[in-house]
Amino acid sequence: MAEERRFLSASGVPIALRRRQHSASCRELAVRGPRLQLRSLSAATSAVWLAAYGLFALCENSMVLSAAIFITLIGLIIYLHFVKVDQESLLVIGSLGIQVTSAYASGKESTTFIEMGQVKDVVINEAIHMQKVIYYLCILLQDPEDPQGVSEVVPLFQSSKPRLDCLIEVYKSCQEILEQRKTAP
Amino acid sequence: MAPGSAQGAPAAGRSGPGMDGGGPAAHIVCMVSDFFYPNMGGVESHVYQLSQCLIERGHKVLVVTHAYGHRKGVRYLTSGLKVYYLPLKVMYNQSTATTLFHSLPLLRYIFVRERVTIVHAHSSFSAMAHDALFHAKTMGLRTVFTDHSLFGFADVSSVLTNKLLTVSLCDTNHIICVSYTSKENTVLRAALDPRIVSVIPNAVDPTDFTPDPSRRDDSTITIVVVSRLVYRKGIDLLSGIIPELCQKYPELHFLVGGEGPKRIVLEEVRERYQLHDRVRLLGGLEHQDVRNVLVQGHIFLNTSLTEAFCMAIVEAASCGLQVVSTRVGGIPEVLPENLIILCEPSVKSLCDGLEKAIAQLRSGTLPSPETVHNEVKTFYTWRNVAERTEKVYDRVADEVVLPMKERLDRLMTHCGPVTGCIFAFFAVLNFLLLTFLRWMTPDSIIDVAIDATGPKGAWTKQYFFGKKRRVKEELPNS
Repeated sequence: MAEERRFLSASGVPIALRRRQHSASCRELAVRGPRLQLRSLSAATSAVWLAAYGLFALCENSMVLSAAIFITLIGLIIYLHFVKVDQESLLVIGSLGIQVTSAYASGKESTTFIEMGQVKDVVINEAIHMQKVIYYLCILLQDPEDPQGVSEVVPLFQSSKPRLDCLIEVYKSCQEILEQRKTAP
Repeated sequence: MAPGSAQGAPAAGRSGPGMDGGGPAAHIVCMVSDFFYPNMGGVESHVYQLSQCLIERGHKVLVVTHAYGHRKGVRYLTSGLKVYYLPLKVMYNQSTATTLFHSLPLLRYIFVRERVTIVHAHSSFSAMAHDALFHAKTMGLRTVFTDHSLFGFADVSSVLTNKLLTVSLCDTNHIICVSYTSKENTVLRAALDPRIVSVIPNAVDPTDFTPDPSRRDDSTITIVVVSRLVYRKGIDLLSGIIPELCQKYPELHFLVGGEGPKRIVLEEVRERYQLHDRVRLLGGLEHQDVRNVLVQGHIFLNTSLTEAFCMAIVEAASCGLQVVSTRVGGIPEVLPENLIILCEPSVKSLCDGLEKAIAQLRSGTLPSPETVHNEVKTFYTWRNVAERTEKVYDRVADEVVLPMKERLDRLMTHCGPVTGCIFAFFAVLNFLLLTFLRWMTPDSIIDVAIDATGPKGAWTKQYFFGKKRRVKEELPNS
């Protein structure tokens, strides 16, 4: 069972939230950002190449042109592999833990898993980010020494930065499962 | 601060005096000042106490200040008072550097997301307060400014600050001063229309300053001085008074609280006249320790050379001490004549005043600390200050904000040909920058912040948005 809803990110980019219910205590929430636009890609490439041609016209060294080709290629690889995140997902399993996955445009995935015993709560907080004040969702980790304390805050959906309405949606889904954990023995 | 501790508080106050009769619409006030807790001082406690009392009266209040060390991001204080600690660079004396423009994106974002209607800036030393006024006027918000200090007219630095103040205040809706002397000073400095300047004195929390006669030693006479040890506070006068009176009265002791560059002067006096057992220098005091120092004394001495409204003498009188003070600035307005002995700012006059106080103390004609406390505690309360500030807000809410064209006219006619034109140009630039920001992130993209205080405050509801809870944990190095 999967449903998809459209939201906006904090910078106004359209994003899609997909919620998939695997079982009563297992739920997957994925935020998908916009795909890589051919337009912005070609704009960046032509900007680099135009600058290279300008330099070439000045110093008449063909090394500049080949360097430009390398720069665009390496830049593209780095961008796709380390910067551009296609999808960020959150898999919440009531009895096990929370898995946070971000999938890069190149297909690379990075996954972290947080055991349920460590999870204290999932909350929405606000922070000053760049020249904005935004809401973000985060997992609070239990401090092993102090049952009341929080040892670490793990922010979620860091690259897509959904707006508050979307965060509340995710928050409610997470809380439903966390509630089950609390009521269960 | 635990989340639970803050929750119950506003529910009791919400049904308080502010809400009966359906009164005028609640305001959303944004207090802006460079000076706020954890920094300590008069402006800081003014902002905090005023905000708390306004929240109690049903308004929504938030505080914007700059980051103090690791304290940055968004924090909540008692009864859901939201504080934004913005990551701006501090330049001098806890005041931020100003370029007049760089704080616009963040301040605009905050004003929009909190739906601010009135921007209330504090202290003329605070660059951030002036910046916020400038931006708020560009955005068409109502502005109020509170001035907390007196200035001179003669030296270069005050000439420059006064010019800046003229520019900053000429199109501000309303100005609040803490005493009539301060009003006179501000009106002259900033060339203002006195009708838009109100006087609302500071207040002290009388429950923090209660007398305790058992703490003082009645076999001696103790004179307490609590102030920063700087030139403005007249520490040089104090260094003249101490040896003179100590020779005359062998049972006299001095207790000096505070820290500052003039401490060395007092240490020299103590050294020269061998008064180590009778003059105690306590060094810097935390605000909560002030009361414990005050109750150890019989007489409070204030030697300030300039003062807009002296909080220290009200605090001392509230602790039941006889106050001896210089007659400067707004001090004569602060306390009635039977509680204070006023002197000229000279060693001789202050010694006479102190001798008079000592004579009264010996003959037992001084009123008891309890009666003095009960009298003083009715004078200056924060609830009264909040009520009067609310009236200013109500008045300002009905006024119109100057449109761009009139604002430029005002700047150019009011502030001199050169400064006026420069700042009119800055105002236009600021407006263009604002238009650019509105194009980059339209207001509709900005999430409305969840209201923690005010009439529909989230803190008063047990559950909102299902079971959403707020956190006040450390932000992850934001």
